[in-house]
Amino acid sequence: MADPSLFRLRVVFQKSGRLCQLSHLEIARTLERVVRRADLPYAITQGFSPHMKISFGSALPVGVGGTREFYDLFLTRYVRPAEALSALSAASPEDLQPLTCFYVEASAPAASVAFPFSTYEAVLSGEGASLNFPAEVTVVRKKKEKVLAVADYLAAGPIASDNTVRFTLEAKPTGSLRPDALLVESLKSAPGLVLTSLTRIDQRDAAGRSVCPD
Amino acid sequence: MGNTNLWPQIEPLLARVERPARYLNHEWGITLKEDTDFRFCMVYPDTYELGQANQAVRILVNCVNNTEHLAAERAFLPAVDMIACMREAGVPLFSLETMAPLSEFDAIGITLPHELAATNVLETLDLAGIPLLSEERGEDDPFVLAGGPCAYNPEPYAPFFDVITIGEGEEVTPQTLSAIREMRREGLSRREILRNLADIPGTYVPSLYRWRSEEEAQAAGSWAEPMEEGLPEVITKRVFAGFAESNAHEPSVVPYTEVVHDRLNVEILRGCARGCRFCQAGMMYRPVRERSADNVVNAVVCGLRETGYDEVSLTSLSSTDHSQIAEILQRLNNEFDGKGVRISVPSQRLDSFGVEMADLVAGQKKGGLTFAPEAGTQRLRDVINKSVTEEDLFGAIDAAFSAGWRRCKLYFMIGLPTETDDDIKGIASLAQRAYDRAKANVPPEQRGSVRMSISVAVFVPKAQTPFQWDGQISPEETLRRIGLLRRSVKYKAVDVHWHDPSTSFVEAVMSRGGREVADWVLLAWKKGARFDAWTELFNRQAWEEAAAELGLDPEAIAQATYEPGYVMPWAHISAGVSPRFLALERKRAQQEVTTADCTYEKCTGCGACQAVGADNELATPRVAAGSNAKPASDEGEEAARG
Repeated sequence: MADPSLFRLRVVFQKSGRLCQLSHLEIARTLERVVRRADLPYAITQGFSPHMKISFGSALPVGVGGTREFYDLFLTRYVRPAEALSALSAASPEDLQPLTCFYVEASAPAASVAFPFSTYEAVLSGEGASLNFPAEVTVVRKKKEKVLAVADYLAAGPIASDNTVRFTLEAKPTGSLRPDALLVESLKSAPGLVLTSLTRIDQRDAAGRSVCPD
Repeated sequence: MGNTNLWPQIEPLLARVERPARYLNHEWGITLKEDTDFRFCMVYPDTYELGQANQAVRILVNCVNNTEHLAAERAFLPAVDMIACMREAGVPLFSLETMAPLSEFDAIGITLPHELAATNVLETLDLAGIPLLSEERGEDDPFVLAGGPCAYNPEPYAPFFDVITIGEGEEVTPQTLSAIREMRREGLSRREILRNLADIPGTYVPSLYRWRSEEEAQAAGSWAEPMEEGLPEVITKRVFAGFAESNAHEPSVVPYTEVVHDRLNVEILRGCARGCRFCQAGMMYRPVRERSADNVVNAVVCGLRETGYDEVSLTSLSSTDHSQIAEILQRLNNEFDGKGVRISVPSQRLDSFGVEMADLVAGQKKGGLTFAPEAGTQRLRDVINKSVTEEDLFGAIDAAFSAGWRRCKLYFMIGLPTETDDDIKGIASLAQRAYDRAKANVPPEQRGSVRMSISVAVFVPKAQTPFQWDGQISPEETLRRIGLLRRSVKYKAVDVHWHDPSTSFVEAVMSRGGREVADWVLLAWKKGARFDAWTELFNRQAWEEAAAELGLDPEAIAQATYEPGYVMPWAHISAGVSPRFLALERKRAQQEVTTADCTYEKCTGCGACQAVGADNELATPRVAAGSNAKPASDEGEEAARG
């Protein structure tokens, strides 16, 4: 992907509303179609089955929204970011609108691993302070049960405020803890409390830089 | 009529089901027409991923939305997990565009795409809270319409529908809906409206016809007796005569979740006159109408721009028979060079020309090619009028494997009329010789990757075809013949795939049965049959118990063979092709005599053009070559007439 002759445009978008129900793969397919409808000069891979050069940030589970999601699109010629943004916006459904776009170095880390720290906001039906994270979460991977220690992944939080809880999880090279699995496990010991929504509100790199500085 | 939005009740269910993207609206490309007073919902009786790309759904929703006062939406049957959640929560079946309950629409239309969708029709109506039987519906219930391929034998569905449309719906669907709207405004009763709808050509209103006994039917020449003056004795299909000239571009919905045929679909031609004697589509879409190269290329360019798809399929029953197919493909190649767009041409013609066309658009990626010789011996291919010779097949194999393809799938049918064990062994022999031929075209170091697979389906006799009188072989006999085929294949690189014969058996009953079969469908559904086309959900026991309880003999319906003089349960429905022609074709089949394609040769006298007042309409004259180059054997024609 690090082809210095290409322009690497980073597009930050939101995953909101009912489109929170889309899977990572469904989002990826939809965004590729957005790029084609926007008629941007996207690059094509060489080889047996040519496809668009585009790479996506880390996956969000089905049902989880995001306010600063992103993808990197490789262009064959420079397009002014404002122009690209307006073309993408016109070609995007309301719940997947692009927020901003800017160029990044061709040599920057790959989109999927560039921002390992994800901050989530859970909105609950009651007081966020009454939610406690468990020490362990049991997940099923490839039909095998695996026990994950929450402390290994929890980088910050949980911080409660009214009906919300914020926390930051770190994606490790060996795997990550899904925020929805953590919430489901936590809610088991909080009878009557229901998760209203779960949203990734920021993604940061190891140096604490956000994907999209305010 | 209300305008309920069920989304607040649906959303909480989505966390508990697989693939919630099936139940979202807000897809790209939908039409929301709000300032109308008549709402129609087009339903595909299976899940979103199977139905969203369906051509009938797309065409009819667009046609209705293009008509003043009418608005159309889409609905699909949810998957079983969602159905369970909806039933538990008391949420009825909903449309996608406005998430409204189906029972609030003025009319709903259910397409009948194949014979295994019957119980899903009942599941659809029940989940929608609409009475299952036409006679139970009241003044405020929606009108329930049907159409599609299975309408050519409508009887197994007859009591479930108020109106069944025969043939192409582009004109008759908006016409029917506008008529219902007018008559409702005039205050006519449901019964009066139904009676008047029966006067629209191509419209069958089953409740106005009494079902005769077998004896009565054979004497009268039809099973359906009109119960009122002036009702048509025979309902002839509708044909969209403006097809060739109409714009091949139309709005397309772009789904979020992956669906079958998830690409831009542009219909380049309608109809096929090759005349395969088992093929219902070949009889029911006559005459042949081609859209011009300019029309097609423009539709692809506009469609890809609007949808953002990276793939387009040029659809029809036999796309490589289009008289301008080479020009179309070359122009599209030039247009999309370097843009990563894939062009696919389904329904591969079985000769070297077909492969040349596939090669034009394949690029570097050459997966597998699929051919359908249908029968293993020349004798049986002549019987079914599949005018393909071994030389055509081997020419196609030479072309494909020297151009870089390494895998090939061959489709065959077993249980075709007159089939013997020699024909079954012939399938194995043909596939093995095709494999040898393929290997000879491949460099020695790559020969290990050459694969040939045989896929067999059981012959299902279809209404309105020359083989409508021929019975299906029993599931036990099917398994015996599959066993023989498997033992006859000696090469390891040639593998054999087949379908469960018990579902093909239900297909044959649905395909050939009369109105009594509707009771069977209803009882099987009550006993839990639904999603019969899903192998893992097919409930054989429900069908068997229902037959036993009703005293119905489904084996007789599926397997009996009749003389052409026998009046079949769909004699009151006409695809335009005359019963005389069907009987003649069956006779020629028994004499192993072929009939030519009228788009290359002279008129065969099938009667379709005269019956529907239309003609073959080709973009340019077709030039016979390859598998189309064989004229009918004249002496055979004489013999058949004698």
